[in-house]
Amino acid sequence: MTEPAEVETTGRFLVLLQEDAVEEGLAELGAIAGFDPNSGDLDPQAVQVFPELGVAVVSADPNLLAELNGAAERPGPVQIVEPERVVHLFDAAPAHDPAAQADESVLTWGLQAVGADVSTATGKGVRIAVLDTGFEQNHPDFAGRTITTKSFITGEDVQDGHGHGTHCIGTSAGPRKPATPPGYGIAYEAEIYAGKVLSNAGSGSDGGILAGIDWAISNGCAVISMSLGADVPAGTPYSQVYETVAQRALAKGTLIVAAAGNASSRPARIAPVGHPARCPSIIAVAAIDVNRAIAPFSSGSADKIGQIDVAGPGVDVYSSFKLPEKYARLRGTSMATPHAAGVAVLIAEKTGARGFELWARLALSALRLPLPSTDVGGGIVQAP
Amino acid sequence: MTASVDQVMVSVQEGSLPKVLDDLREAGLVVDTVLEALGVVTGTVEVRAIPSLLSVPGVLDVERQWRVQLPPY
Repeated sequence: MTEPAEVETTGRFLVLLQEDAVEEGLAELGAIAGFDPNSGDLDPQAVQVFPELGVAVVSADPNLLAELNGAAERPGPVQIVEPERVVHLFDAAPAHDPAAQADESVLTWGLQAVGADVSTATGKGVRIAVLDTGFEQNHPDFAGRTITTKSFITGEDVQDGHGHGTHCIGTSAGPRKPATPPGYGIAYEAEIYAGKVLSNAGSGSDGGILAGIDWAISNGCAVISMSLGADVPAGTPYSQVYETVAQRALAKGTLIVAAAGNASSRPARIAPVGHPARCPSIIAVAAIDVNRAIAPFSSGSADKIGQIDVAGPGVDVYSSFKLPEKYARLRGTSMATPHAAGVAVLIAEKTGARGFELWARLALSALRLPLPSTDVGGGIVQAP
Repeated sequence: MTASVDQVMVSVQEGSLPKVLDDLREAGLVVDTVLEALGVVTGTVEVRAIPSLLSVPGVLDVERQWRVQLPPY
């Protein structure tokens, strides 16, 4: 890129502190950034602390970033450091409307882009688990479908109070011919396992996610779709626990597909693949738009640890949503992931492949794109 | 100040469940769930006891649990 970098950051840093060790974390931060956390009258320009969140916002010389990241990577109370981003309302001023270039009168552009419209596979007989915010159990488009649900969130049933989970289920396994077009589901006859591992507020933790993976494997799901993750600084090691889990899942015939993350602000910055997609044995999915261009937010292979494996449609994606909205157009690697997972289900049905053989068929059959493999891996997934 | 406690996930060698559970509990792990298909145990433990979990025979890795958060629309 020869253009000047347009980093949409404030010059401050967000620091995530260990929940129960905020004081210790502030002491460590102070030592690096040059303030005394016990002085009683901290300059709010220099440091702001949100004890309930376990987050501090610190003004620090950019040269201190390496030192802050070092603190984050060591075991200790400073967990994650990232530049404070300038945030905008989504799609406040789109340069153009990408949907205008696609004919979505029958099927979404995403289904056409992955070739679902010309595939005879339906997903029949294959189980897919979507681990997310749950499922809108009153959605008319899913009447009559076999859907098994389980909540791993204490105090919340599987009913999707957020919408994200219902959207992802819709893309991976929703209908082709709903009452109102367009059709938006890839593996439209697959058996759906909806595991709620994220709360209605959209948050969760590894414990619930692992419990959901365990449930999916125990129920013989061929594919697990996980549109979730945590962004990490470049160079962060992948989780050994998840890697072991993903290898065992593959050995038992279950392929885990996960979102790469939405932390990039291209072209200025390409963020590394998040946790847990950065594990080598989990498929990491990037997002492209209707023009087959990389989505500006899509995380990429920014270090040698988290690698993009494939890409899927992840901008202006129409799918089911919680009621009363019923439908929504969303964007994110969260939307690209169920496209890839749905295609994996079709391949599993058509070829009988499971585990690593399914991985290989999914990755090798992807349509190559004239884009860096660090952004899109082997290309856009293709229905068999 | 109370001792710092972490939510952790522990991967164990295949076939070592449920035997390794007793040793993990003895080493300080308050077990939350036992995920048999994965060979993983989740729970809470005092931060200073993490090294003793790692030294339990059959334990592969001990990691702190991450939290994930969906971005706002």
